[in-house]
Amino acid sequence: MWEQAKSTFLDAAGRVVQAIARLLPGAVALAIFLVLTALVAGAASYLLRRAGRRLDVDRRLREWGMAAPEAAGHVGPTRIAARLVGWAIVALGLVAALNVFESSATSAIAQRLLDYVPQVVIALVVFMAGVAGGRAVERSVLIGAVNMGLHSARLIGLGARWLLVILASAVALEHLGVGGTILTSAFAISFGGIVLALALAVGLGARDLVARSLERRFSDRSGDRSESGDDKIHHL
Amino acid sequence: MSGTSDTAPVSAARASQAAGSLVVAIQGHGSRALEAARDVRTRLRRQFPANPAVVLVTTISEGALALRPVDDDVGPERPGDSALFIPTASQGAVPARTSPMGPLLQSAVEHDAAVVVVIAAEPHDGEVDWLDRLLSPIVSHGFDFVCPAYVRSRTEGAINTGIVSPLIRTLYGKALRQPLGTEAALSGALARKLLADEDWRKRPAEAGSDAWLLAKVLDSGARVSQSWLGAWPRPEGEPEEASETLVRSLGLVFGEMERTGARWQRTGPSGPVPTFGEGGYAREGARLDPARLGEAFAAGLRDLHPILGLVLAPATMLELQRAAGSKNGPGPLPDAIWARVIFDFAVAHLVRTVERRQLLRSLTPLYLGWLGGLARDAQALDDAGFEARVESVGAAFEREKRYLVARWRWPDEFNP
Repeated sequence: MWEQAKSTFLDAAGRVVQAIARLLPGAVALAIFLVLTALVAGAASYLLRRAGRRLDVDRRLREWGMAAPEAAGHVGPTRIAARLVGWAIVALGLVAALNVFESSATSAIAQRLLDYVPQVVIALVVFMAGVAGGRAVERSVLIGAVNMGLHSARLIGLGARWLLVILASAVALEHLGVGGTILTSAFAISFGGIVLALALAVGLGARDLVARSLERRFSDRSGDRSESGDDKIHHL
Repeated sequence: MSGTSDTAPVSAARASQAAGSLVVAIQGHGSRALEAARDVRTRLRRQFPANPAVVLVTTISEGALALRPVDDDVGPERPGDSALFIPTASQGAVPARTSPMGPLLQSAVEHDAAVVVVIAAEPHDGEVDWLDRLLSPIVSHGFDFVCPAYVRSRTEGAINTGIVSPLIRTLYGKALRQPLGTEAALSGALARKLLADEDWRKRPAEAGSDAWLLAKVLDSGARVSQSWLGAWPRPEGEPEEASETLVRSLGLVFGEMERTGARWQRTGPSGPVPTFGEGGYAREGARLDPARLGEAFAAGLRDLHPILGLVLAPATMLELQRAAGSKNGPGPLPDAIWARVIFDFAVAHLVRTVERRQLLRSLTPLYLGWLGGLARDAQALDDAGFEARVESVGAAFEREKRYLVARWRWPDEFNP
């Protein structure tokens, strides 16, 4: 009986060792893959940060209002982008590394994930551009609305920003193939709602402005100079 | 005010001390420029017979700005030329790309000019011999540069009165009343010096602009004077929006301020500028509503708080909020605070805290607030009182110069 147990144990141990021996090259390859990926991710992240610093990207984005102002503890856009790129490379490396096991299931998953990567990258870029552009447009519209004397200047600026963000989000999700018709309907409703709110804000805020403009247009021009206001004088 | 015509008073032929020709460029386009050019030539021949007159008009020739002598028989526009919109004297702050200064200086050197003049095509004051006042300081008194000033209503040209003039006075030590007026006269020697400047090669986008000319002249140690030329040559059409004028004029001035930073930080207190002619204020003009301007200021300060907070020092912001939130409606801005506001904007322009065009546009509500205070004073004070009020703005800018220098040197660290 002892001999039988011993034989069974040795057979099992042999099978385990064989299984480990079969997996070991793959595991080593996976480890090498991950180390290499981490190195590439670190290098890419470093290069991106360095290029961002050299091109003064953070300051330029802040100058145009595309990024939040510098503050204590605030992480700049270049750093965020560098981290994103770094982690994206690690994730890609991990997915690609699944192929080393030569299993049909893992290979299929890895292939599908890799095929999806370009769409994710494009969607991310579109979304980020929308967010940054929205902030820049908000500032520009806000200044323009204030200088036109509109009462709801902030609301108009905010509306313009969210219009762009929602548009960018919709395009990004569409690109990812998420949502289908529900997304299109939700986007149309939100977009229409914001446009309506903006129209009301401009209409109500600029009532006086429009009245003054029409008055100027249709009244006797000789009466212009007795009107009060800052738009009748040469400032220089 | 009437157009430049034979009925306008003119001085008798002047005994010229400066030998050489008088080279004049007319700023403007179309038949008005041609008419003004012919009129100026007639007057020059009569008043300065010893100096040959060369009168030029501006055209675009083969895509480039060019000056062409005015001809009695043939107009300034020939086949291949096209009319060019040139900002006129009344608009001021001419940028380099539409300035005739480069070709004019070249022409001056070619003609061995004693005096080089830029004149607006708009009709000038018929009651004053404005051409003589513009030229005689150079021809007869040996000055190098004449900056014109005009009789205008008290609140008109407020950017010149409340920003550009005090700033120029603080930076370059010359209290010129209306520094950005486009019209100007300079001596032949100064013209040759300016033409040899390396900025024409190194900074072609800035060389030749109004602010460039002014900064170069004031920086060169040239003998500077100013002349009152009577009523302001008013242009036709609607005035430009305040925000656009601010962008156009302050963009040029702040640009020159950046270029000459090392120099103006060492400039001492300002001195008087020799002045020809009598100044004053026009009785007629637009009546501004201080209350409405105050409301625009308060609303703008509230709405643009996120942007202005990046530009202005916290103490300045607090003072502005105090002025905007006064119990009896928005009150006038103290001169010292106004000076700090302009200095903070100049520093923000230098370090590009906010995109430059957006930055200058966001100054508009603050400018309107200051203008409201000026309009209130214009209604309450007599001429002498108002003159003292204008002087106090310039003096406040000079007093606050230490603040400007400190912020300019340490834009990030300095936080009063």
